[in-house]
Amino acid sequence: MTSLFHTLNISKVDMLNRLLDLDVVSNNLANVNTVGYKSNRSNFQELLAANGMKDGIQFASTQALMHQGSFQMTGSSLDWAIEGEGFFAVELPDGRTAYTRDGHFQLDAENNLVNGSGYPLIWQGTLPAGTQNVSVGPNGQVSALTDAGWQEVGTVQLSRFANPTALSSFGQNVFLATDVSGAAQANVPGQNGYGLIRAQALEQSNVDMAQEMTHLMTLQRSFQISTRLFQQTDSMINLAINMRKY
Amino acid sequence: MIKGFYSAVSAMVANANRQQVLAHNAANMDTPGFKQVLSSFDEFWKTPVVFPPGNLQNLSAMTYSGMLGLGVENAPEISDFTQGALQLTGNMFDLALEGEGFFRIETEAGERYTRDGRFIRDAEGQLVTVDGNYVLDENGNHITLPNGQILIDQNGQVLSEDNLIAQIGMVIFENPAEELTPDEGNLFEAAAAATGEGSPQVLQGYLEMSNVNPTQLMTQLVEVARTYEAAQKMVQNQDELTGKAISTLGRIG
Repeated sequence: MTSLFHTLNISKVDMLNRLLDLDVVSNNLANVNTVGYKSNRSNFQELLAANGMKDGIQFASTQALMHQGSFQMTGSSLDWAIEGEGFFAVELPDGRTAYTRDGHFQLDAENNLVNGSGYPLIWQGTLPAGTQNVSVGPNGQVSALTDAGWQEVGTVQLSRFANPTALSSFGQNVFLATDVSGAAQANVPGQNGYGLIRAQALEQSNVDMAQEMTHLMTLQRSFQISTRLFQQTDSMINLAINMRKY
Repeated sequence: MIKGFYSAVSAMVANANRQQVLAHNAANMDTPGFKQVLSSFDEFWKTPVVFPPGNLQNLSAMTYSGMLGLGVENAPEISDFTQGALQLTGNMFDLALEGEGFFRIETEAGERYTRDGRFIRDAEGQLVTVDGNYVLDENGNHITLPNGQILIDQNGQVLSEDNLIAQIGMVIFENPAEELTPDEGNLFEAAAAATGEGSPQVLQGYLEMSNVNPTQLMTQLVEVARTYEAAQKMVQNQDELTGKAISTLGRIG
């Protein structure tokens, strides 16, 4: 036999999960113009106890949706976009390697290639002294502009993962590898299914505004229904408590 | 003791159970592949109503005046297997089934079936569900995928750069409502092997949403609320009547 208090609990957990989902949607909408951002999705799953007791839903996972964002031409040769699969590897201040699709790079005071957050790009080669500009070819050939003109100074590789949807978001638009995503496999761009690098372009966020807004609407309605259910179950309990008339 | 009292209470209990089913359906309104649980009521047992022979009538036998219902109970719950709406997600490993049928999933407890097509390629390249259970191919083996773009056609053939990698395993149950029982996490368990012929269409980049209908749910919600209220009033009436009988009847003078 079931208890109405358990039903209250189903609705409660339901509402809490909708709020988590709202966080995910808000984050997506906030990053609708963030370069290289990948939208996230929350996966809910039915919760059913072994004895057949219904428990509503649980928050199973969030998943990064890795489909390609559109390109924006910027004209700056330090803006690199990836067309296809792969990530740039950058070094975090604590020494760990993080991965990003945000290819908005800059030259710092020590002549290093750094991304928008100041994390140095991991690549094979060094920039000569007096570098004024840096560009990249589709297959990762990095060239630097000095007073002597353009010259090839090294290569940048792309990293990819067996399961990029399970990368953990570190913030600042970079991801960390997890057990579920698998280890990073670095390779030359344009080979074996690795993406190509396009200079003078940036990959836009892949958040679909219309999809997020409709999700927000269904989310709000679902939340309303849960609150209705909660209130109704509450008044049913009230009826049961006040059954005895004096 | 008091038959009417118990039947009124049985309606409260049955509606409390139904409320739980509705809460579960509402919670899973956005769970892909979820099949709504249908709840209904059955009449509880009936009992014959007989009166003892009265003093005024010179009868020797009990008078039978018909059958009296003893209330209501919950009918066995069934899952509604009608197809949910398809939603475009554009995600490579989101699969939806168009038409009857189920994906084959391997869990620790054995083979299960689902229409929830939110799959991912895990770190070992195997196709798994969001809960980490393995998706099976037509021969009941795990599906191992290479890196890169994967194309899944309408027949469930998994292609990588035009090479056939695997065939997604799908089964059809002639009468899923009777052959399948719900298991944890949007999965169904079958008592016997699938018997249906044919194969559903697979759509890549789509998800089948839950088939819970919000409008229907809200009307059921009102139904439950009012029935529960009415049953509660009946309990009170019965209680009042019994109280009256105790205090009034048998009073002399």
